[in-house]
Amino acid sequence: MTGHPANGLNDVVHQRVRLGILTVAHEARQVEFGYLRTSLELTAGNLSQHLSVLESAGLITIDKGYAGKRARTWISLTKAGRAALREEIEQLKLLIRSIDGADGG
Amino acid sequence: MTTPSATADDGPRRLLEDSRLLAQRVRATQRATWFPLLVFAAVTFAAIPVYRYVHPSLTCRSGQGGIRVCLVYTSAGLVYWPIALVIAYALIATFYVRRARARGVGTRVNRYVVAGVILALLMGFVSVWTAMHPPIGDNVLGLHLRGARLAVFAGSAGPATAIGLALLFLAVVERSWGLVVLTVAYLAVALSPAVLLHQISGHLSVWAFLPRLLLEGGLLLLGAIAFALLQRPWREIGR
Repeated sequence: MTGHPANGLNDVVHQRVRLGILTVAHEARQVEFGYLRTSLELTAGNLSQHLSVLESAGLITIDKGYAGKRARTWISLTKAGRAALREEIEQLKLLIRSIDGADGG
Repeated sequence: MTTPSATADDGPRRLLEDSRLLAQRVRATQRATWFPLLVFAAVTFAAIPVYRYVHPSLTCRSGQGGIRVCLVYTSAGLVYWPIALVIAYALIATFYVRRARARGVGTRVNRYVVAGVILALLMGFVSVWTAMHPPIGDNVLGLHLRGARLAVFAGSAGPATAIGLALLFLAVVERSWGLVVLTVAYLAVALSPAVLLHQISGHLSVWAFLPRLLLEGGLLLLGAIAFALLQRPWREIGR
């Protein structure tokens, strides 16, 4: 990756909600739809849209199952999702350093 | 967090800070530090009748110059601890997994449980080996140990060390400095020469083991109560 750190940002991940989804899924190992919706303060429809984008990009997997009679949807990070999250965090840190450097200079 | 696309709110600092807060919230939802502490307190207190009512065994060895060394030990204790600890870890794993799933997250406790079981079995093996091969004179595995040092060395192969080391591992998994502090205090008490020497020098009393178990179990129980109170507000946030 060369040039300005912003050039290294992944458009799919560089967004508050999607970064939030990846962060929660990474930390939780596996996260249920309802937990994500509450944590990120989203509507079900809005969250579903973001999940579709991430799933299409191969960053998450979505598994549907039942807990008793209640349907539950579980979201997990794929290997590519973990890498994308790591890369995004690195790029954000680089960007902050770059901004701080510009402010200081 | 309802913004559908990149906005001024998506500044790198804000994004990182949001990620950090979300990760913290997930960890808080997953934590149940009080439960392993409560289980180990129960296991420690349950050892009291084992030590009190099971007759001690004796292993003797003859050394150079006709020196005969005998070691008195509670054979039931050798069996009790590994079995009790493995059952405890099975309980802890089940509790963590069920609780995490009920809250809509996964759990990272598997590594702690595996480490704990390995430590428990290792402790059981070392305890049995030590009972079968009592040290002659002050020579323990080539080290010349006496008095307090010998007591600490012998005590370090006991169940408290297995529990304590595994709790340190849990502290890393749960990123809990509070648990690190509690575990260090627990190990300091459990491996304190004063406590260990009391048990050895008080061998004439059938209750010589009691202060040690009460101290260890009491500390774990207090820790369980403290963590249950401390983590209660976080539990509400996770819902």
